[in-house]
Amino acid sequence: MSAAQSVARATSPIKRVAPIKQDRPQLSRASLQLLWTTGCFLLAVLPHLSSVRWWIGLLAACAAAWRLFVEIEQRPLPHRLLRSAIAMIAVAATLTTYRTLNGLEAGAAFLVLMGGMKLLESSTVRDLTVVLFVSYFLLFAGFLYNLGLLSLPYMLVAAWLLTATLMLIHQASPMSIAEALRKTGKMLLQALPIAVLMFLFFPRLPGQFWALPAQEKALTGLSDTMSPGDVSELSVSGKLAFRVKFDDNVLPPPRERYWRGPVLHDFDGRTWRRTRYGFVERPLVATGPTYRYRVVIEPHNRNWVFSLDAVTGWPKDLRRTSDYQLVTGNRAISRLSSFTLESSTSFRTAGPLPTVMERADLRLPEGRNPKSVALAKSLRAGVGGNAEFVQAVLSRFRNEKFYYTLEPPRLDTDSVDDFLFNTRRGFCEHYASAFVVLARAAGIPARVVTGYQGGEFNPLNDYLIVSQSDAHAWAEVWFDEQGWIRVDPTAAIAPDRIERGRNAGLTEGDFGTGEFLAGNVAWLKVRQGWDAINTFWNDNVVDFGQSQQRSLLQRLGLDDPGLTELGAALLLSFVAFFAAISAWLAWQFRPRARDPIVRVYDALCRQLGKAGIVRQPHEGPNDYLSRVVVQRPELTAQITEIRALYVGLRYGPALLGSQLSTQLSRFKFLVNQLRI
Amino acid sequence: MFTSLLARLRRRTRAWARRRHGIDTDPLVLSGRRIYIVPTRLGVAFAAMLFAMFLGAMNYANNLALALTFTLGSLGLMAMHYCQRNLAGMKLASAVCEPVFAGQLAKFRIAVENLAPLPRFDIVMANDHSAAAAVRVDANARVVTEITLPAARRGRLALESFEITTRHPFGLFRAWAYLHMDLHCIVYPRPSERAMPPPPLETDTGGAQDAVKGDEDFAGLRAFNPGDPPSRIAWKAYARGQGLLVKVYAGTAVSSHQFDWDALEGLGVEARLSQLCRWIEDAFAAGRAFGLRIPGTDIPPNVGPAHRQRCLTALALFDEAGP
Repeated sequence: MSAAQSVARATSPIKRVAPIKQDRPQLSRASLQLLWTTGCFLLAVLPHLSSVRWWIGLLAACAAAWRLFVEIEQRPLPHRLLRSAIAMIAVAATLTTYRTLNGLEAGAAFLVLMGGMKLLESSTVRDLTVVLFVSYFLLFAGFLYNLGLLSLPYMLVAAWLLTATLMLIHQASPMSIAEALRKTGKMLLQALPIAVLMFLFFPRLPGQFWALPAQEKALTGLSDTMSPGDVSELSVSGKLAFRVKFDDNVLPPPRERYWRGPVLHDFDGRTWRRTRYGFVERPLVATGPTYRYRVVIEPHNRNWVFSLDAVTGWPKDLRRTSDYQLVTGNRAISRLSSFTLESSTSFRTAGPLPTVMERADLRLPEGRNPKSVALAKSLRAGVGGNAEFVQAVLSRFRNEKFYYTLEPPRLDTDSVDDFLFNTRRGFCEHYASAFVVLARAAGIPARVVTGYQGGEFNPLNDYLIVSQSDAHAWAEVWFDEQGWIRVDPTAAIAPDRIERGRNAGLTEGDFGTGEFLAGNVAWLKVRQGWDAINTFWNDNVVDFGQSQQRSLLQRLGLDDPGLTELGAALLLSFVAFFAAISAWLAWQFRPRARDPIVRVYDALCRQLGKAGIVRQPHEGPNDYLSRVVVQRPELTAQITEIRALYVGLRYGPALLGSQLSTQLSRFKFLVNQLRI
Repeated sequence: MFTSLLARLRRRTRAWARRRHGIDTDPLVLSGRRIYIVPTRLGVAFAAMLFAMFLGAMNYANNLALALTFTLGSLGLMAMHYCQRNLAGMKLASAVCEPVFAGQLAKFRIAVENLAPLPRFDIVMANDHSAAAAVRVDANARVVTEITLPAARRGRLALESFEITTRHPFGLFRAWAYLHMDLHCIVYPRPSERAMPPPPLETDTGGAQDAVKGDEDFAGLRAFNPGDPPSRIAWKAYARGQGLLVKVYAGTAVSSHQFDWDALEGLGVEARLSQLCRWIEDAFAAGRAFGLRIPGTDIPPNVGPAHRQRCLTALALFDEAGP
């Protein structure tokens, strides 16, 4: 059908002339179908714009614009060779950019491009259908990135529009857009119950059976190196890092809320890195109460699991490194993941420090930061022991003119020297870095620990929210008698930062916009409410898995049902649901005259028919009702009036509104009153 | 190879459906029981896409992607029900089928009526030879569709079977019903190409004959019949409010052809019928009176389309069991 139309379009030499009257220009059916398909395609591309390269989105938009231009101006489609050339260049560009098509982002980019190219050559219903199918798939792929609360309504609306377009392009007989939208909307609403049922009860599998290589894309968050300025940069981001829910709502005090991330050993004078050496793990002994909690980590494309320092209990699929950092196997956390952990905030590491570790944690780059090294040596010489040395350094930070600021000045190559003797303004990473360098120079094994500190408690759902702005760096030193001891130099310079939260210790003027607003109570409430909704969404929809399914079934009284039972129940509800839909549809489509007069008359005939006086096909109202009177003389009065009214209403001259309604209601009343 | 297999399968199912349902009444209300439904190629592609989505969603344990997959799957099943319901309860009735000459296309007209208060979309009537354009039948409305069948030979052409089909709403499913109504079209013999000279006019010079109308003397008025030439309508009588009347003439000099089977000695049966058909057509076109005499039938001379039809039908159905 559309092929024929497009042929007609192609052969018609008449160009559209500007309409004389400024009416809405009437689009042809084919143009309308194309317009809607293009709109749906763009709607499906939209969620991908943030993840694919900018030029891919641009290319798709250009293809759409070009196709629409061709349609409106009634030009021929771009030549086949040109189209193939564009497609080939686009594919080549994608391949060189991503080096593969077997990846989430590359796959999505490829789909976007293919959809755009297909759109450019679309002239038949078949082509448009392909574009729509690509759009469905793009909608689906959008969820592999974005699982936010608003993505579900977006998807539902997009699916509705897409399906309405599918209906529109597959109609050979006339149908308006409004009709297509209404009908599809109705069908979608009817389809939802069974979709929800499937969602709740379809058996979930643990783990992946086939993994696409996730693109190692840097997401906002900690990295495995630390240079001056890194953490303070992160602190400006209000993005969520992870949420924590403590069992029985027993939270550690704020100053103990250290969330451990990567531990950095190697220093080149400016940047801290993780070490290449493998260490022997020293046992860790909890000396205080244990906290049990569930941590829900936002995707950060690393295999780190942030845990309350120090973690003592973890699930089987995780591993604790010799640095006491918790990591997953090899799998990066590329989607929302939750883990149930146990930690103790007071602990002791036992045993002697392995030589390899001691050497690594004493190493300083040759000839760098000479002033700091000299300072450390003189300080160490002036005190009796290592513990006194640590105190001396901290009191130096506290008592001399050091500042804690989000906007530290840039530092020289010898960053620690420059910081300690020149700028004296820094964020946590400056203090941690300087402290570790001083400790190592004094002969004390020391290392930098990165992670998060603090968190905001949301009283609405009792979750602790840790965001990127809580990113922190601190130091650990080794004392032979006690093992690894946490030393947080930031606590010396800005104790409020540790006690009360990230904004407390900052010098005036260092508030970011988010921080400024955070002071506003109403805004805080809104933020906490929104976060509570998001948490609920994450826990119950995004993270709905085997365990939630099991507890739901238990609540329904089905203790540990097998796959067969579950399948049977699902199938049964399926059959029941569609039987109901079928019956409902039959009821909707039951023969009904549109004319209320006829409808009432039909009802009368049915009623009389049930009583045994069936109207013959050849009988008109006069003949039939006369026969009724003959057979049932007791009804003469009513039937005669009904007959007069019906014949008058149906065949008599047209009546005015009020007359019509009185007669009609009298007619209805009489028929309803009739008892046979 | 595959298509021929498919065609054979289709013929088989049709024959089976015919045995199952027998000859249908006319008019007929389609019951749900006789509507068949299968996914189209597009439907299979849609299912394949959903399966791929399902695997992806399960693999990544991505609940929202799974929700989308289930929603679309459920929508697909909903479409199946809507597709079947788009046909069920439809009322079909045959309309008049105009006779044609052998070699032409017979046009069978079938009225589709929607008794429901909701519109039905994309209704296609089809047989092996043709498919009518898809129609939309609004609530409580009636649409007449036309399917054609080539009329190869004279006689009674039966429309053995036809289908009512729909792919509404998304083209994912095709629902159809086989119909076997007792529908016939009269096929006149093909008019002979080589026109033999018609038999000479026989002129009756006697007085006015009642049976044979001439065109000389005005004999009176009779009621209008569809097909009467407009020139014979008595417009003055119409203006007087007497209704549509036609002037009837009778002549003292009535001339008419007598087309006789026996005059065509030496020709075969079909050739004779063709020749007679040609003569009738020519005489009718010229407005001359003619009579027809074939074995078993003797139609006295007359004029007018009804007369023509009567004669041609006699030719069409001559020796019906014979040819």
